[in-house]
Amino acid sequence: MSWHVAEEDLRAYARGELQPPLLWSADTHLAGCAECRAVLASAWEPGALETAWARLDAELDAPRPRPFERLLLRLGVPDHTARLLAATPVLRRSWLTAVVLVLAMSVLTARAGHSTTLFLALTPLLPLAGVALSYGPVADPTYEMTVVSPLHGFRLLMIRTVAVLTAALALTGLAGLALPGFGLGAFAWLLPALALTATGLALTPRLGPVAAPALAGGGWVVLLLLAEAARNPGDHALAPFTAAGQGVAAGVAALAAGLLFLTRDRFDQSTGGVR
Amino acid sequence: MTTTVSASGLTLRFGGTRALDDVSLRLGRGVTGLLGPNGAGKTTLLRVLATAVPADRGAFTVLGHDPATARGRQELRRNLGYLPQTPGFHPDFTPFEFVDYVAILKELTDRAARHREVRRVLAETDLDDVRGRRIKKLSGGMRQRVALAAALVGDPGFLVLDEPTVGLDPEQRMRFREVIARAGEDRTVLLSTHQTEDVAMLCNRVLVMAGGRIRFAGTPAELTARAAGRVWSSSGRDPGAKAGWRTGTGAFRNVGDPPPGADLLEPTLEDGYLLTLDGELAEVTA
Repeated sequence: MSWHVAEEDLRAYARGELQPPLLWSADTHLAGCAECRAVLASAWEPGALETAWARLDAELDAPRPRPFERLLLRLGVPDHTARLLAATPVLRRSWLTAVVLVLAMSVLTARAGHSTTLFLALTPLLPLAGVALSYGPVADPTYEMTVVSPLHGFRLLMIRTVAVLTAALALTGLAGLALPGFGLGAFAWLLPALALTATGLALTPRLGPVAAPALAGGGWVVLLLLAEAARNPGDHALAPFTAAGQGVAAGVAALAAGLLFLTRDRFDQSTGGVR
Repeated sequence: MTTTVSASGLTLRFGGTRALDDVSLRLGRGVTGLLGPNGAGKTTLLRVLATAVPADRGAFTVLGHDPATARGRQELRRNLGYLPQTPGFHPDFTPFEFVDYVAILKELTDRAARHREVRRVLAETDLDDVRGRRIKKLSGGMRQRVALAAALVGDPGFLVLDEPTVGLDPEQRMRFREVIARAGEDRTVLLSTHQTEDVAMLCNRVLVMAGGRIRFAGTPAELTARAAGRVWSSSGRDPGAKAGWRTGTGAFRNVGDPPPGADLLEPTLEDGYLLTLDGELAEVTA
């Protein structure tokens, strides 16, 4: 062996406090290193030692996490949350690729046409669609098992929502950086995106996981068409992307978030119907 | 019988249809079979008892926990293992990863303890050899066993299994029965099935549902006894029979009210089941 587990880490391991990915390194190393096992065996009281051996025994044949889970663990996400996120249907390469393609096309269109309108119109729909596709009987093959688990449905929804929002907003933010000529105006999608996502979620208990985001997205499109019809020749931006429009979006996002919180228990039972 | 699951007046409508119509029942430890034709309301009853959907009316408790309150519902779910009619999987997961995922949903967050539990249920369902293979590459029978393993995680006191043996070949069904029988030794298991053999071989109690109602509740022997003196053999189709079919010997097996002097046969559980359904027998007459 060219290296050994640090004594401090072995102490944490024995106490059951060592966290992934260090925990896995220690597990793997201990399985093949008699020297470290001896240190572990001699250093601590029997109770802690038994716990450590039990942990090692449990880990010996546990599968190695996939790259996506390993990435989350390196970012400090607890292993159980990483596994929940790995099971999120929308956090797949195919969806992320689709988002990147949509963003790339809208950025290219904006640069060619010297207008961010299409970019700003499309980008709020990406997190809305992503969150809608992360939960519910249509998108999640394990939905029925999830609903009857003791883990509160709203908590799982929020874990997945935060992950999807983070991915979508980060990618969209990067796309916004590709439009330096438009300044902060290229980020006027952020508040509408939050407002649309929160509205879609808040309507879900009443309308269901498909109709609610569809209504929110449809409402956004109608709003943009109305804004375009009411646009004066001298206006640089559509109303939703002006300062006043951003204020309204922030208000809608806050209201929808409040409604969502009030209806959180409604995410605890299924919306499907089977005889 | 010590009652572990008790329900009274459960009623649930889907549109204009009463999927459950004033259902009351009591279950104890052991395996209870739930028989009934398609559309009888079996799956709806299981989904209500598993807290997947709330009933419009009525109440129930499982192991003393009342799902009408958020706290009671959560406690019930901590004691619940549920295998839905069409269990879904994340196809890229392996059995180990999938059962681990369900264990996390069941609040087993300590990694070492969780992995021990995952290994235990995978061993109990004979999945040790394939635990690292992708689920999408497993046979239907193995996938059913993965779903059963997920239901067994956390050693729940109440197991709800919706047609777990459907689509399995005889050998797979036998292995499944072994696991369910073991599970029923110290738990309450409610098993929905179309297979009367499952009930005859596994269950110490049986419920028969039709039209959203419980038509029979008792032991398999009591259900079989319903057909005593009401099964007979004849050389041709007996027009007075409620159900009748040609058997492998060429003779007809009839169920219903036999004519005088009929050649009576020993009844089976299936005969009792068919007579219990009675008004719904047209579809099984051949």
